[in-house]
Amino acid sequence: MLGYVIRRLLSICATFTIVSILLFIMMHSIPGGPFDATDMPLSEAAKATIMAKYGLDQPLYIQYLKYMWGVLHFDFGVPFQSPGETVLELLGRAWVPSLVLGGGGVLIGTPLGIMLGILAALNRNTWIDYVASGISTLGLTIPVFVTSMLLILVFAVWLDWLPASGWGEPKKWILPIIAYAAIPTATYARYARSAMLDTLNKPFVMVLRAKGLPERKVIFQHVLRNSAIPMVTVFLPMFIGTATGSIFVEAMFRVPGLGAYFVSSIRTRDYPLEMALILMITVMFCFAFFITDIVYAMLNPKIRLGGKVIK
Amino acid sequence: MKIVDIENLHVSFQHHDGTIKAVRGVSLELFAGESLGIVGESGSGKSVTFLAFMKLLQAPFATIKADKLVLQNTDLLNVDNRSLSNIRGNIVSMIFQDPMASFDPLFTIGHQIVETIQVHNPMRKKAALAKARDLLVRVEITNPDQVLKYYPHQLSGGMLQRAMIAMALSCDPQILIADEPTTALDVTVQAQILQLITNIQTETGMSLIMITHDLGVIAETVDRVVVMYGGRVMEISDTISMFESPKHPYTKALIESIPGREAGKQKLKEIKGASPNALAPPSGCPFHPRCSQADAKCVAEMPELLTYENGRAAACWQVK
Repeated sequence: MLGYVIRRLLSICATFTIVSILLFIMMHSIPGGPFDATDMPLSEAAKATIMAKYGLDQPLYIQYLKYMWGVLHFDFGVPFQSPGETVLELLGRAWVPSLVLGGGGVLIGTPLGIMLGILAALNRNTWIDYVASGISTLGLTIPVFVTSMLLILVFAVWLDWLPASGWGEPKKWILPIIAYAAIPTATYARYARSAMLDTLNKPFVMVLRAKGLPERKVIFQHVLRNSAIPMVTVFLPMFIGTATGSIFVEAMFRVPGLGAYFVSSIRTRDYPLEMALILMITVMFCFAFFITDIVYAMLNPKIRLGGKVIK
Repeated sequence: MKIVDIENLHVSFQHHDGTIKAVRGVSLELFAGESLGIVGESGSGKSVTFLAFMKLLQAPFATIKADKLVLQNTDLLNVDNRSLSNIRGNIVSMIFQDPMASFDPLFTIGHQIVETIQVHNPMRKKAALAKARDLLVRVEITNPDQVLKYYPHQLSGGMLQRAMIAMALSCDPQILIADEPTTALDVTVQAQILQLITNIQTETGMSLIMITHDLGVIAETVDRVVVMYGGRVMEISDTISMFESPKHPYTKALIESIPGREAGKQKLKEIKGASPNALAPPSGCPFHPRCSQADAKCVAEMPELLTYENGRAAACWQVK
């Protein structure tokens, strides 16, 4: 197990390095630069000074090595679009709303989706199944900016129960959290339904029934537990996908989260912020898969104990 | 004493291509202490008959109709879930074809046997565990303490089928239904498992229903045979008479297709044609398209199961 953990950690380092090199090359190969404004152009001399200040006049590999040296010391530089703070300070500030909303969405959507999926599977081909599957299909197919718009229209404009947008008091969090919850709800409803049906069709379920176990025990002690294993594998990656901000939801509800910075950092060639955002996501996904694999192994005795067969 | 009485059982499944008529009017009975073989090829309805009997086929996909479906004094056509739970695993136990897939992979063998014991007998875990250990000893497992702690994937197919039998015996059932219990096992292990089942049946005096496609298994384990084909009963006979003087042309053809013992180049005999399509079964006798003796009557009309000497029965127009 320890060997496995070390191997995985090394492979995460390798992934990190490869992604950082590719990213650095791609980012700099886009024509133009951060200080090429067309409406109020800088003088040649001013531009040269500022490029030198940020080290952008040096060869690319020097820039890369300097950047990575900084990263090793947790120095991600200064965002060009907000030079008054460091990249880390900006991330710390902007990530809080995204984490609250996205995290809230996943924490509400996951149990809700699982419940819908279980209900659908246990009442397969009845109206309950059709309603649950319908909700899940709608959740996956209607774009989140349309859902957001509908939420604002119904709950803020028509009913006037909740504020339409903004950030600050918890009251303003409710609508964006619901909008965020749509994807995890829909995804989990589908996953849970198919995982449950998959387990229900296994021969051992017939054996459990044949030995007189009440249906309640068959479902709650055996079928659910077996179905949980495939469901576990989607949780962390989805959590990270959601909690790193949604450009659309944050724009619709005017939430000062991370989402908008993904777009603006690319558009304005804000190299330090762009690198930091994408590397952060890379590392988080790597660890999400890593932790998922370990949890998966712990839940599944076949992997936990290996396949030694006793005659 | 009659303990199972099935009369005119029909089982059909809803499929998007139409209705699959898996069992079409099966009648059979089982007496206390006897061993009954159900033989037939895949799709003959032999397993479905007993899954329906145990109410293991679920509405709305499966439709079960019968004139009689009785276990001892219980009418299984109108049974509530509680009595059903009490019957399954307690009065009637089942073992299935694939032991590897018959245990929940996430729980130890011990847990799964203890669970079965505790459903039917209120008993402390420690006592149940001791009983589970005794059961494993009884099915000739030499390292019962270890096996209790193993997960299904850690045991071989033969060991798992033994554990499965132990679990099936845990509440001293009156009937054991074995649905192709050796099909998924190595030939050497097959013989051991069959021997074990027969030994236990002799010791306990329980009834045995052995569902198989293998006439060899029938010859080794049962006293009486029901031959099924196309969802119908073709012949019922004691085992010896069936092998010596089969009445139904299908039974004859089955026995003839057993490979001979002599080495040599003789061609393996087969029954020409394929099993009937359960979506659209043939008219009349389901075997007529493959039967060498079939005539116009066989095509037109389904023969009834008629009784002959020594409690034998056959459903064929050609049997005189």
